[in-house]
Amino acid sequence: MRGLLALCRAIDSINAQIGKAIAFLIFAAVVVSSANATVRYIFDTSSNAWLELQWYLFSAVFLVGSGYTLLNNEHVRIDIVAGRLSHRTRAWIDIIGGLLFLLPMTLVIAWFSWPFFAKSVAGCSLMGTHISDLLSWAMPPQSGNDCEISSDAGGLIRWPAKLLIPIGFLLLMLQGISEILKRVAFLTGAGPDPLVKEGEHHGEHAAD
Amino acid sequence: MTSFIIENIAPLMFAALVILLLFGYPVAFALAANGLFWGVLAIKFGLLGPELLQALPQRVFGIMRNDTLLAVPFFTFMGLILERSGMAEDLLDTIGQMFGRLRGGLAYAVVFVGALLAATTGVVAASVISMGLISLPIMLRYGYDRRTAAGVIAASGTLAQIIPPSLVLIVMADQLGRSVGDMYQGAFIPGIGLALLYAVYIVLVTIIKPNWAPALPPEAITIREADGRAGYTSLLAIVLAATAGGVYLSLFYLHWIWACALVGFVAYLVAIANKLLKLGLLSRLAERVIIVMMPPLALIFLVLGTIFLGIATPTEGGAMGASGALLLAFANRRLNWSLFRQAMDTTAKLSCFVLFILIGSTVFSLVFRGVNGDLWVEHLLTSLPGGQLGFLIVVNLMTFVLAFFLDYFELAFIVLPLLAPVAEKLGVDLIWFGVMLGVNIQTSFMHPPFGFALFYLRSVAPNAPYTDRISGKRLEPVTTGQIYWGSIPFVLIQLIMVTIVIAFPRLVLVSLDTGPKVDPNKIKIEAPLDQGGGEQPFIPQIK
Repeated sequence: MRGLLALCRAIDSINAQIGKAIAFLIFAAVVVSSANATVRYIFDTSSNAWLELQWYLFSAVFLVGSGYTLLNNEHVRIDIVAGRLSHRTRAWIDIIGGLLFLLPMTLVIAWFSWPFFAKSVAGCSLMGTHISDLLSWAMPPQSGNDCEISSDAGGLIRWPAKLLIPIGFLLLMLQGISEILKRVAFLTGAGPDPLVKEGEHHGEHAAD
Repeated sequence: MTSFIIENIAPLMFAALVILLLFGYPVAFALAANGLFWGVLAIKFGLLGPELLQALPQRVFGIMRNDTLLAVPFFTFMGLILERSGMAEDLLDTIGQMFGRLRGGLAYAVVFVGALLAATTGVVAASVISMGLISLPIMLRYGYDRRTAAGVIAASGTLAQIIPPSLVLIVMADQLGRSVGDMYQGAFIPGIGLALLYAVYIVLVTIIKPNWAPALPPEAITIREADGRAGYTSLLAIVLAATAGGVYLSLFYLHWIWACALVGFVAYLVAIANKLLKLGLLSRLAERVIIVMMPPLALIFLVLGTIFLGIATPTEGGAMGASGALLLAFANRRLNWSLFRQAMDTTAKLSCFVLFILIGSTVFSLVFRGVNGDLWVEHLLTSLPGGQLGFLIVVNLMTFVLAFFLDYFELAFIVLPLLAPVAEKLGVDLIWFGVMLGVNIQTSFMHPPFGFALFYLRSVAPNAPYTDRISGKRLEPVTTGQIYWGSIPFVLIQLIMVTIVIAFPRLVLVSLDTGPKVDPNKIKIEAPLDQGGGEQPFIPQIK
């Protein structure tokens, strides 16, 4: 169990660092978007690259930040019934939900999004190297040789955006594993109550 | 067994979803996993092809590319910065003084400031908490009825849900496949109408129970002239002058939005000059009111003005508003590193949970539609008696009940996609439909005992007897029961508004007719042939 709890701490700290860092892209998106509108109005010119950059930035925030959001238990729940259950029952619900819902779902989407990314990256190069060569161990040989670019004039290359999907769902899956382990630890008495925030020591109430 | 499942897969899928959601596992994951489970089952039974699973990343990518939803983080970020910019405090103090001499004055101030905050921040929590902290203690001090005070604060806070730019309207526009700009224009009149109805309720209270909402005593009025006069005359004079100027400009020279902006700016310059040079042109009250009204009005212009004028998309309007909020907080010396970081952090988490509910509901509805669940819902709802009107009444009653259990994101993402195609088939204008449901969903914030606005108010209202700082009197706490009872008249007002919107679709659609984008030659009015007929939509259609 101790080793598993160390794994939890490692996952938590990775997602916390990543989440705090990625949140700054919100500000970047605000700046890009305001600048877009202003420049278009004053100089009557705009570029698809900048328009697309907005949603690249925001996608990075919500996909890569999903593990961080789960770590903070901010994925919204309907607690009309759950709010009346004991902390132990709720821990059980989270364990079963994690095993039956979250892990299979993230696994399926991450799994199928990899070829989706692989297809878009075929033929793309980064600093003179073909990316699909670097990743040849992880993806089937791609037939196309054209690097996928946005169909809008002057748009951005697509693979960085598509790469966000497997990364986001993998981070979410890792956090899901950590949350399950934390609740198992709580039920077996090896860890604290995950529903009690750090610094509070209320113990368990029968009905919170 | 197998054939039973195959024949009833859509209802089973829906029932499973309801049960899973009630267990309290995060909505986003329960939705997606439920969709996947039934999807795999449907593939196994040969109802769907295996390409379903490969379509998933494409769906996620579609959500990423969605420009409309980009407005969600921008408006959230703007609201979080404004919440701490000191704007709400300034407004409540000054507007409270402005209305203070009237019976029910503080309550009018709360409604007025609630509407202004709604048109800028769009965050219910922020409005309710600042009004609960600033206005509630003053209302209690001067003997307001506790239920009325609590009710008006909670209700005015929820105006943020319906007065543009609100998040729920963005999400609904996305789900209904309509533009956010149209949705905003459509919600504008009903939103203002709600604020007016709240004020009418206060008028009734002051007539029937004058001691429930007393005027402030003279010693509580701090903004007044040296000789004790209130200074209303010069406020009235400058408002009239500004209105006249604005009307003149908008009739002959400028679009009315530009005219308002220009006139407002001039009034602001006059007030600033009066303050700095001690000109004595304006009363202290007029000067204060104009100066504190400027930041919210400028933000409203920056966001809604640019959207309605067609300069910025709603997404960009949100970004402009966020930049404006940052500048305002900076100018008021409220902006610091920890506020900035915290705002980004909260925005990131909120957008993440919203977008993940959308991902989950997309997975769910991909499968649900695949197994013809949409036809099942359509059959269920089109077989209702009463045609269009019957459908609207049933849907609104259902939404009202569901709003006790679900919050607005869940309603907009799970329930709305099921209803929208049916509404369209029955000839219901989707903007009208969305605004009607928007007003309805807004009540979910004030439903006792789970309404969020009531929670927020509870968290800042006194819960133990306390000694008032100014009067030195011992005051009783506000009980949770008083907050619940206070909200009920306002829930009823919401229902009245829903009825009004159903009965008078033009309230929603009239502002769309006059929008600058629409060529008058292309508007085709479908004359009402039979006002009583259920099937015929008697609303003008823009072709």
